[in-house]
This record gives sequence, C-alpha cells and structure tokens, in this order.
Amino acid sequence: MDPSSLNSAELQRLISQEKERAMVNEMVAKLTSACWDKCITGTPGSKFSSSESSCLSNCAQRYMDMSIIIMKRFQSMQ
Amino acid sequence: MDSNCHFPHLSSGNKFSTEEFIGQLKRQLAQAYAEKFLETVRGKCFEKCITKPGSSLGRGESSCIWRCVERYIEATGIIVLRNSLREFLMAV
Repeated sequence: MDPSSLNSAELQRLISQEKERAMVNEMVAKLTSACWDKCITGTPGSKFSSSESSCLSNCAQRYMDMSIIIMKRFQSMQ
Repeated sequence: MDSNCHFPHLSSGNKFSTEEFIGQLKRQLAQAYAEKFLETVRGKCFEKCITKPGSSLGRGESSCIWRCVERYIEATGIIVLRNSLREFLMAV
C-alpha cells in the first residue's frame, strides 16, 4: 500500500472494518454488563463459582437466541 | 460516538496517508472503549463493594474492589470466548 496516497475504496474498507470491530466491542460491553447483573448476585470472590461462570456463559448465549427470535418476529410482521 | 470525538487530525496540507488516518481512528476508538470500560467497572464495583460509605476506604472494601475488577475482566472474557459474536453480527 502506497502510504502517501489516498485510495478511496481501501479507506472505506478499513473504516468499515473498524466500524464492525467497534460494534462487536459495544455488544460485548452491553452483554457483560447485563449478564454481570443477572449472574453475580453476591460480593465478588477471588474466583467465580461454577454456577456463576455457567450463568455468565448461558446468559450470553440465551441473549443471542432471544435476539434472533426478536428479529424473526419483526420480519414476520412486515 | 459522542460529541467528544473529533475526526483524525490531518498531518499536512491536502495529502495524508490512509495508514495515518486509520491509525488515528484506531487509537481514538481504543481510547473511547477503555474509558467506557472503566466507567462500567467503576459503577459495578461501587455498587457491590461500597455498601455504606465510611469516612475512609476500609481494607475489606479495597480487597472487594480488587476482586471485583478481576472478576469483571474475567466475565468479559467469558462473554467473548464462549460466544460467536462475529458470526451473529454477520447473520443480522
């Protein structure tokens, strides 16, 4: 890549890559926050109990399942 | 992005490199992410560990905060690893 020139298509591709990365980070942040609230009910320990860590793992996956259902529901309404 | 973000600064005149631009963009995004992460951790750990604010931070409170930060980072790892977020985003 020639560092001194502006390639519009290349720039767009790179920007869109960063945008996607930012969206994933945003999703992770939201999910972690929501699942922490649901799963870590007591005072944080020096490690997660097995129920806490499986709750966190399940939480994220159930959220994904839910998102897909919501999407399908909206699509079926159109 | 909020109004505190500004466009990456162009180094000289009309010519700028794609590399430079993307580099600045990445840095700004990383910084915004780190700030947001810290804000979230502060909120969660304050809630969990400082139940009755005293005249100073107790040893129990300090160690709770320490563990809380570690656990929150670990929770973030669990969310990322155990889930194919990328695939999900593609499918949407």
